[in-house]
Amino acid sequence: MTESMNIKLKVWRQAGPKAQGRFETYTVPDANPHMSFLELLDVLNEQLIKSDQDPVEFDHDCREGICGSCGVVVDGVAHGPQRRTACCQLHMRHYKDGDTIVVEPWRAEAFPIIKDLVVDRSAFDRIIAAGGYISINAGAAQDANSLPIAKTAAELAMDFAACIGCGACVAACPNASASLFTAAKISHLAMLPQGAPERKSRVTAMVNQMAEEGFGDCSNHAECEAVCPKGISISTIATMRREYMKAVLG
Amino acid sequence: MKPVLDSHIPDGPLKEKWGNYKNGIKLVNPANKRKHTVLVVGTGLAGGSAASTLAELGYNVKSFCIQDSPRRAHSIAAQGGINAAKNYPNDGDTVWRLFYDTVKGGDYRSREANVHRLAEISNEIIDQCVAQGVPFAREYGGLLDNRSFGGAQVSRTFYARGQTGQQLLLGAYQSMSRQIGLGNIEMFARQEMLDLVLVDGKARGIITRNLITGEIERHAGDAVLLCTGGYGNVYYLSTNAKNSNVTAAWRCHKRGATFANPCFTQIHPTCIPVSGDYQSKLTLMSESLRNDGRVWVPKKQGDNRKPKDIPEEERDYYLERRYPSFGNLVPRDVASRNAKYACDEGKGVGETKLAVFLDFAEAISRLGQEAIAARYGNLFEMYERITGENPYETPMRIYPAVHYTMGGLWVDYELQSNVPGLFVLGEANFSDHGANRLGASALMQGLADGYFVIPYTLGNYLASNDLPKVTIQDEAFATAQTESTAQIEKLLSIQGTKTVTEYHRELGRIMWDHVGMSRTEEGLQTAIKEITALREDFWENVLVPGENSTLNKNLEFAGRLADFLELGELMARDALERAESCGGHFREEYQSEEGEAMRNDDLFTYVAAWAYSENGHTLVKEPLEYESVKLTTRSYK
Amino acid sequence: MSSKNVFRSPVGKKLITGITGLGLVVFALEHMIGNLAMFSGNDAYNEYAHFLSSLGPLLYVFEAGLVAFFLFHISNGIQIWYGSRKARPVGYDSYRSAGKPSQQSVSSRSMIVTGLILAVFLVIHLISFKFGPGGPGNADPSYVTSLGGEPARDLAKLVRHKFDSPFYAFGYSIVMLMLVVHLRHGIWSAFQSLGAMRPSLTPLVYGLGTILAIAIGLGFIALPLAIYFHII
Repeated sequence: MTESMNIKLKVWRQAGPKAQGRFETYTVPDANPHMSFLELLDVLNEQLIKSDQDPVEFDHDCREGICGSCGVVVDGVAHGPQRRTACCQLHMRHYKDGDTIVVEPWRAEAFPIIKDLVVDRSAFDRIIAAGGYISINAGAAQDANSLPIAKTAAELAMDFAACIGCGACVAACPNASASLFTAAKISHLAMLPQGAPERKSRVTAMVNQMAEEGFGDCSNHAECEAVCPKGISISTIATMRREYMKAVLG
Repeated sequence: MKPVLDSHIPDGPLKEKWGNYKNGIKLVNPANKRKHTVLVVGTGLAGGSAASTLAELGYNVKSFCIQDSPRRAHSIAAQGGINAAKNYPNDGDTVWRLFYDTVKGGDYRSREANVHRLAEISNEIIDQCVAQGVPFAREYGGLLDNRSFGGAQVSRTFYARGQTGQQLLLGAYQSMSRQIGLGNIEMFARQEMLDLVLVDGKARGIITRNLITGEIERHAGDAVLLCTGGYGNVYYLSTNAKNSNVTAAWRCHKRGATFANPCFTQIHPTCIPVSGDYQSKLTLMSESLRNDGRVWVPKKQGDNRKPKDIPEEERDYYLERRYPSFGNLVPRDVASRNAKYACDEGKGVGETKLAVFLDFAEAISRLGQEAIAARYGNLFEMYERITGENPYETPMRIYPAVHYTMGGLWVDYELQSNVPGLFVLGEANFSDHGANRLGASALMQGLADGYFVIPYTLGNYLASNDLPKVTIQDEAFATAQTESTAQIEKLLSIQGTKTVTEYHRELGRIMWDHVGMSRTEEGLQTAIKEITALREDFWENVLVPGENSTLNKNLEFAGRLADFLELGELMARDALERAESCGGHFREEYQSEEGEAMRNDDLFTYVAAWAYSENGHTLVKEPLEYESVKLTTRSYK
Repeated sequence: MSSKNVFRSPVGKKLITGITGLGLVVFALEHMIGNLAMFSGNDAYNEYAHFLSSLGPLLYVFEAGLVAFFLFHISNGIQIWYGSRKARPVGYDSYRSAGKPSQQSVSSRSMIVTGLILAVFLVIHLISFKFGPGGPGNADPSYVTSLGGEPARDLAKLVRHKFDSPFYAFGYSIVMLMLVVHLRHGIWSAFQSLGAMRPSLTPLVYGLGTILAIAIGLGFIALPLAIYFHII
């Protein structure tokens, strides 16, 4: 059987949105290399509950890297050290016995902390509601094959549509910018002919909403792409700017 | 008092029923639609598509989800694809064939009329999703690509890489977002439905808990749409998301809605095996892997050699051996049960011996690693991330896991439960998959219900019923709120010694051992006893930390577990009652000499709907009548 | 959409920063090449300066444009920096870059610092040279030379005089190194900001941008050091 590891966790604790937060250090003496990082937090929480302390709250749901619920900054990197991996799929085999891991919530004015490691990401929903869709009522569609779309365009659209809305891009960006999230949706829809009729209003509305939510501006650090669990390219941000120019100039 | 269940199947030949139904319904005047408030609980494929479509029609929609955003509902995790009878590949598919395959795949325990409607609607779903910008896979000519999935003899599955559920859900979410932006949907995220409010016998509202502040809220409406998914998490370990639960459905059940076929559970054959006690959930590997992967175990018991050291002649490709015509592509229930048998015989592999190999060596040598990477690259990556093993070099280890629940609240043809005004959509209802669901059919059903069925049937209900105005000051709301609050206070006050997770894990063990892939009368009796004892212990000894007034996930999970502890018992009772083997329900007493499932159509061609009362459950049967399909024994040999 | 919104929008700000940034790179390159005229002798340098001042109204147009570019570039840069502070009022206890494909570097993180140093330098630089002795509003007979019989400003003398001082020679050189650091991120970033970027192009543009940044910097540094060490 696999050896167990002793892991120290330095975790951000904050009782509520307005409460003063602080770091607490805990030890999990029997972590297992096959555990996921969230399972390590589960084990910690069972320990805390048994010793009459409040468990650490963190968002999680599917635990297979697709729902986008989970997300914490692990040792300074959003979702932790493994590339293209949400922290639910980060496994403890990447750590060794005796390691200390610092766990912090996403930090952004537009993502206020709700409790401990849980933040409010509803700003993302409002950006999509501003224009991240194609206006088509159910029942009004023509036959699906009446509109051929080049395979390469469909594949690129899929690359961009893969965004899980976790917010790691914002968390990692030195400016707390939501450009990658916003640009991914704009680029997905810009790749497809169905998205064309609304392309101008979409890009301006979404970009304006992004600013209104209090996200920072992009400085092209490209840190977002490096932490994105789906590896979405910052070329989407370039696309968003082209779309924006087209919208403004014509 | 036993409820009377009328399926309200429209008249006429099977193929004309849906058309006849639509011709005959009452319509809501466009000017009046805004005056109707519809409460939609859940934002997965069914709830998201229903909320957006009803808002597009002009209804005043309130939508609720427990996640922080409607985009995170568990439909997002569906990988493989969505079926439709488009017949683009020209390989012989028809609406009839899709209907027939679904009824047969469900082992003749679903309602013909519902399934035929599903098959008819399937094509419109694809049109709708493409128009929304769902980036389905395409061929070089720019047209949509199809693949064969889950053993279907035709290629009718549309897919977006291994993320079809995600893309379809985001399509529905975007449509919802548009309506939210327009003010036609009021969105309540991080809100959990705790009770259904009945006024004059009709569903007129819900009680919810704000998961951030703990406040109990009342919401009134003219109808309630329950789109809250399945109950696979009763097994603790399943491929369901951690927050997936039965609570909303169960509370409706306790208010009078019958629960149908609870024992019909789908165990998916290709999941990543359990690695230890800390395991919190299981991860599915799309069954498309079985198109190229070969399932085997060592012929010798307890063979601890590395897979590459086991020579070809000492391997048992048991699916190919037992089912020469379908081989590795047998339906999910068959594949799962055979994996269990192999492990029961002591031939399991890996540290826990609860796994079988899924081997790509042959496909890689035939097609090249690049071709395999193009087909399954993201799945292989996911496997390696979780297990630390490279499936290009060593076979995957897989084991079955609970994946989908075919049972759910009973609904009629209009998707209405036996409680007037309570409609149930998607996985939360029981209707279309019988005793076993075919691959790529869940997404189809969720979207069919939301985009194309409920707009008609809900309108008919609203136009046909006199619905006097109800406000949240009504007495029924106060009573329901008091009951919800009392349960929360009770859970917090016990302050026992065992955590919610410990109880849930224990329930899961009982369910998996006795109400899992293979069931016996004795095991089910044991399960009922053990669950009852566990439930009593839970209410004496559970330790729920924290308080009600802040985000408290343990409290949420405690409430959900309380309902699972009741549901689990009902599942065992239902499984006990159903003395036959069909689909995902396999009773060891009812098998052929070759170990294949034996249905008993004379006695069990019915929907088992359970009605709740303080004194326990009573069974109500809805007989299933097959007019168009001849019942045969499923054979995949 | 109104132009006011463009100036305020996150994308608009980047477009403007990018366009003005690239304009300023062209200016810096041109300035640097002009500086190198000194290596051909004082007269060559003075002739170049004289040519520029003889452009008359055209020069004023260029200068006005330059001032506008600088002002927009600086004010946007400050706004972006200030916006990023507001967008993350509480920082991380530990923070590090995740590595490739991140382009985050000392260079990208210090744009505001290097930018502000360059802005301050610019003012000193203008006072020292453009408006220095012999310049506009500062007539000084000792900084007049004759070019082809015509009197002209002896800017070369002023340059030699200034760069004889170690303070000025090395200070200038250090600031030019800051310019290299600023442009290393800036050139690539401008192209990305203007949407002229594909994943396949990024390494190339980033590489060429770095080379151009170093070339401009070295070109600027060559003059003060050559004068200080009496190479020319």
